[in-house]
Amino acid sequence: MNLDSMRRYATDEVVDAVVIGTGAGGAPLLARLAAAGLKVVALEAGPNFDPVRFAFDETLADEIYWTEERLSGGTTPEAFGANNSGTGVGGSTLHWGAFTPRADQRDLKLRTETGEGIDWPLDYDDLKPFYEQVEGFIGVSGPAAYPWDSQRRYPLSPVPRNAPARIMAQACEGLGIRVADAPAAVVSRDFAQEGGGTRKACINCGFCHQGCRNGAKTSMDVTYLPLAVAHGAQIRPMCRVHGTERDGMGRITAVTYRQDGTERRQRCAAVFLCAGAVESPRLLLHLGLANGSGQVGRNYMGHVATQVWGTFAGEVRMNRGYPSSLISEDMVRPADADFAGGYLMQSLGVLPLTFGNTVARSRGLWGPALTDYLARYNHFAGIGINGETLPCDANVLTLSDEVDAFGVPKARIDFGYGPNEDRLNDHATRTMTAIWEAAGASDIWVAQRVAHTLGTCRMGRDGDTAVVDPFGRSFEVPNLWISDGSTFPSSLSANPALTIMALSLRTAEAFLRSR
Amino acid sequence: MFCLHFLGGSAREWEDTKRYLDPHLICIPLDLPGFGDAAHIARTSVDEMADYVIDRIAERGQSRWWIAGHSMGAKIALVIARRAEDGDPKLAGLDGLVLLAGSPPSPEPMSDDKRRDMIAWISADEKTRTLRAGAFIDQNTGAPLNEAARTAAIDDVLRADPKAWTAWLQEGSREDWRRRIGILRTPALVLSGSKDADLGPAAQICLMLPHLANARHVVIEGASHLLPIECPKAVADLICEMRTLPIAVASDPACVLDSYASLIASHRVNSRLRAALAARASAGSAPYRPCVLDAVEFSILRALIDRVLPQSSDTCIDIGARIEARLSDGFGDGWRFADLPSDGEAYAAALRTLDAAARATHGIGFTALPDETKEALITAVAAGELPTVAGDLDGRQMTKWFEDLRSDAVRIYLAHPAALARLGFSGIGAGGDDVADMPGFSEFRINSREPWEPISEAEAGR
Ligand SMILES: Cc1cc2nc3c(=O)[nH]c(=O)nc-3n(C[C@H](O)[C@H](O)[C@H](O)COP(=O)(O)OP(=O)(O)OC[C@H]3O[C@@H](n4cnc5c(N)ncnc54)[C@H](O)[C@@H]3O)c2cc1C
Ligand code: SF4
Repeated sequence: MNLDSMRRYATDEVVDAVVIGTGAGGAPLLARLAAAGLKVVALEAGPNFDPVRFAFDETLADEIYWTEERLSGGTTPEAFGANNSGTGVGGSTLHWGAFTPRADQRDLKLRTETGEGIDWPLDYDDLKPFYEQVEGFIGVSGPAAYPWDSQRRYPLSPVPRNAPARIMAQACEGLGIRVADAPAAVVSRDFAQEGGGTRKACINCGFCHQGCRNGAKTSMDVTYLPLAVAHGAQIRPMCRVHGTERDGMGRITAVTYRQDGTERRQRCAAVFLCAGAVESPRLLLHLGLANGSGQVGRNYMGHVATQVWGTFAGEVRMNRGYPSSLISEDMVRPADADFAGGYLMQSLGVLPLTFGNTVARSRGLWGPALTDYLARYNHFAGIGINGETLPCDANVLTLSDEVDAFGVPKARIDFGYGPNEDRLNDHATRTMTAIWEAAGASDIWVAQRVAHTLGTCRMGRDGDTAVVDPFGRSFEVPNLWISDGSTFPSSLSANPALTIMALSLRTAEAFLRSR
Repeated sequence: MFCLHFLGGSAREWEDTKRYLDPHLICIPLDLPGFGDAAHIARTSVDEMADYVIDRIAERGQSRWWIAGHSMGAKIALVIARRAEDGDPKLAGLDGLVLLAGSPPSPEPMSDDKRRDMIAWISADEKTRTLRAGAFIDQNTGAPLNEAARTAAIDDVLRADPKAWTAWLQEGSREDWRRRIGILRTPALVLSGSKDADLGPAAQICLMLPHLANARHVVIEGASHLLPIECPKAVADLICEMRTLPIAVASDPACVLDSYASLIASHRVNSRLRAALAARASAGSAPYRPCVLDAVEFSILRALIDRVLPQSSDTCIDIGARIEARLSDGFGDGWRFADLPSDGEAYAAALRTLDAAARATHGIGFTALPDETKEALITAVAAGELPTVAGDLDGRQMTKWFEDLRSDAVRIYLAHPAALARLGFSGIGAGGDDVADMPGFSEFRINSREPWEPISEAEAGR
C-alpha cells in the first residue's frame, strides 16, 4: 500500500498506542484509534507490498507467508507457513480466503449447551453490531437471503459460483442439505472504499490465497490500513518487535524492535499485541509478560479442516473463480451428532501446488500413481469443512530450545485431536463423501488437514484462568491489550477472521472508553 | 593421456594398453610416489601424490590432455580434475577422465580385516611377501593372467615401498574427499569389472558416478580389478570410442509445449510471472553442485525422486537439484515436524538411513538397486517399516521425512512451466501487466473451456 504521505512520529515521542502486527486483529483497531484522533504507530515485521506485484503464481506468493521455522509436534501436527500464517502489511489477510461466516451464537455458549468446551465471556449480541460494521466497511458479498439467519443482509450480491460450487450445490439439493452462496469479503462490483480509493470488482482469477492483484479481496492493506493512514496513523514495515520496557508499576513504557538490523525503541502509553496466535504468545513467553494465569500458550487450537476430493468426468477447472463460493451451515448442529459443536462446509477450488501438496502429504501417493494423478488436475473438485476444536490441555505452545535469527526461541506447537474432534471428523467425512458420491465423483479420497491458528491467550472473566478480559485487556499489565486469534477461548465452527476483526473494533471502543 | 596405476602397480601396468592406443593417443604412464621407479619418494597422502603428479603434468606442457586413473590412481586423478576445473593454471587443457575400477572420493569400501591382513604381509619375510603378492594379484583378476604379465605384476608389488602401501591402506584410501571433489563436469569414462568385489559396478554407481556430471559407465564382463592388465585391448577400445563418440553433456531437458509457451508469451500473462517461469525452466541448464548434501547423498536423492515422482523423458525436471538449492538457501516453508532435525540435516540423515538399509538388506547402495527393489524399500519407508539402526533416523521419523520429501518434490514440479503445461493449467493467464484491464475468468461451467485456455497433454493426446 502507499505509505508515502503518511504521518510520522518520532521514536522518543510518547505515542498513545503502539500496535504490533497489522493483520485482522491489528488493522481495524489501528484505524479506529486513529479516527478517534490518537497518535498511533503500527510495527509490522513483514514488508509492505504493492498488490500489483501479486503475479498469479503460488511459488512467488512465498513472500507473503511467515516462513520462519516453527516446530510442529503432537498427534496431529499442524502445518504453518502457506497453510495459515502470513506476514507483511496486512498480515494473514494478504493470503486469506476471505470466507466470512459469522460465529454461530450456540458456539459461543458451547459449555452451557453441552458441558464440553468453554463459554465465551460475551454473547452474539455483543458481536453483532461489530459484524455489521465490518461487513459494511470491507464490502462482503453474499446471498440476498441467508438460510441460517433470516435477519442477515449482505451489502453486495454474491460472486459467481465456480465449478466445484455448482457440483456441490446440485448434489446437496438432492440430499436435502441447504447451501447458499458463501459470504465472501470480495467485492462483486467496483466498490468505493471508505478511506481509500475504488476497489475494482473481482475478476474471478482464483488466486485469493496468493494475494489479490486488483484489490477486490479484502485485505487490511486495501481496507482498514488506508483508513488508518488517512487518519494519521503511521505504519512501519519490516519492524520486528522483540521486547518491551516497563515502569515500576509494570506498565509498558516503550516497545523495542529491530528495523534493517538497527535496534529501535518507540515510547508509548499503551500497547496492542496483534501478532497472531503463534507470535503473540511466543513474545509474551519470551518476555515473561502477562502470564500470571499460566495460560499463555495454553489451549492452542487449529480447526478440523478435513477435505474430500473427487475426480469428475467433465473438465472442472477448479482454478477459475472465487475459490470457496458455496457454504452450508446445516452441520453446525447435525441432528445425529455424537459430538459437541459442529462444522461448516464449503466448496473448494484449489490451485495446483497447494492441491499437489495435499495429495503428496495426505494421500500418500508416490510413483507413477502420483505423476498421473496430478496430470488430471482439470478434473478435480473438493469440499472442505471448518470444524469445532475444543480447548485441550495437551495442545500447547511452548518455547523450544532452538533460537531464531533474533535470538528469540522458536515456537513449538503441540496439537492433536481429542475424541470430540475425531467424532466430528468422522461425521464430516461421511457427509462429504456422501455428497461427492451423489455428485458422481470417482476416486474419492479424504485429506486430513488442520487450519488456522487460535487460542494461547484466552479471554475470560478472571485473571486466574484467562490472559485477557472480554475486551482484550491484560489482567496483569494495565496498558497491554491483545487483539488477534490468540484470545479465542474456543475455536467456533466459523472461520475466524471476521470475528477477529469484529473483536478488534470492540477492543478499540473499550480502550477509548477507558481513557 | 597421463596414466596412474593401482596400489602395488607401477607405470608398467599400462604397457599393453598403451600399445593398443597408439597412435591415436599418446600414453604417459607415471609412477606414483612410493611405487615403481618412484618407490624412494615418500609422499603418501592423497594431496601429496596429486601435487607430485601435477608437477609431472606441468613439466610436459601439453595443451590438451586426459588423465586416466586405475583404482588408487583414480582417486588421485579425481583430485587433479577438481583442481583443473577450479582453474589451477598448471592444469589448463584437461579434456577427459578415464577411471578404471576407481577408488572413489569417499573412504574406499574395504573390510578392516582385509586392510589389516594386507598391511601385515607386505612387511613380512621375503617368502611370505612373494607368496602373498602372487595371491593378491590372483584375487584381483578374473581369468588367470599369462605368466609374463603375472610375474611383472607381482614384481611391482614387491618393488613398492611398504610404507607407501601401508599409508594408502591406513590413510589415503580412507581420506574423505566427497565434499572437496563435489561434482566434476569433465567428461568421464568409468570402467568396472563385473567380477570386482569391492570396486565393481555397484560401487562405481553408488560412489563414483555421483561425482561426475557427464559420465559413461561401462562394465567389462568377466574382468575383475586389474583392468589395464587383464583386458588392455578392451580398455583401449573403450577409450578410443570415447574419443569418437563424445560423452554428451547432461542438461535439464524439460521443455515446454509450444502452445503453452505461446500462452506464456501472450498478453494474458504478467511479466513478473513470465520471468519467473523462464527462470525456473532454465535453472537446470548448468550442472548442479550440491552444497548441503555431499555428492553421494545427492545422487541418492535423485535416484529416490526418480521413483517418487517419475517424469516422462520430455518433461524431466531436475527436482533433486532444486530441492538441494532450497536446502542450501536455508529458505524453509515456515515449519517442520518437531521430531525431525532441521531440513538440511534431516535430508542428509534420511538419505544415509535409506542407503544403509539398502546395504543391510541387499548388500549394495540404494542407487545401484534394481527398480523393484528400490520400490520395496520406499514402501517400507512410507509404512514406517524401514529397518534402521541406532544413530540413524528411526522408522517413524523416516515416514515423516518422506512426507516432506513428497511435498517438496511435488511443489517444485508443479512450479515448472513444463508441468503446468502437462496439466493444461489456465490460471497463469488470468491477467497481464495492465491491472486496470485484467480478463480473469468468466466461464465457470463444467466442460466449458474459454477459447484461449490450454488443454492438458492427456486431453491433447486423445
Ligand atoms: C491460506 C489461508 C486461508 C485463510 N482463509 C481464511 C478464510 O477464508 N476465512 C477466515 O476467516 N480466515 C481465513 N484464514 C485465517 C485468517 O487469515 C487469520 O485467522 C487471521 O488473519 C488472523 O489474524 P491475526 O490478527 O490473528 O494474525 P495475522 O493476520 O496473521 O497478523 C499478524 C501480523 O503480525 C505480524 N507480526 C508477528 N510477529 C511480529 C513481531 N514480533 N513484530 C511485528 N510484527 C509481527 C505478522 O507479520 C503479521 O502481519 C486463512 C488463513 C490462511 C493462511
Ligand atoms: S478471485 Fe477475485 S478476490 Fe480472489 S484474487 Fe482474484 S480478483 Fe481477487
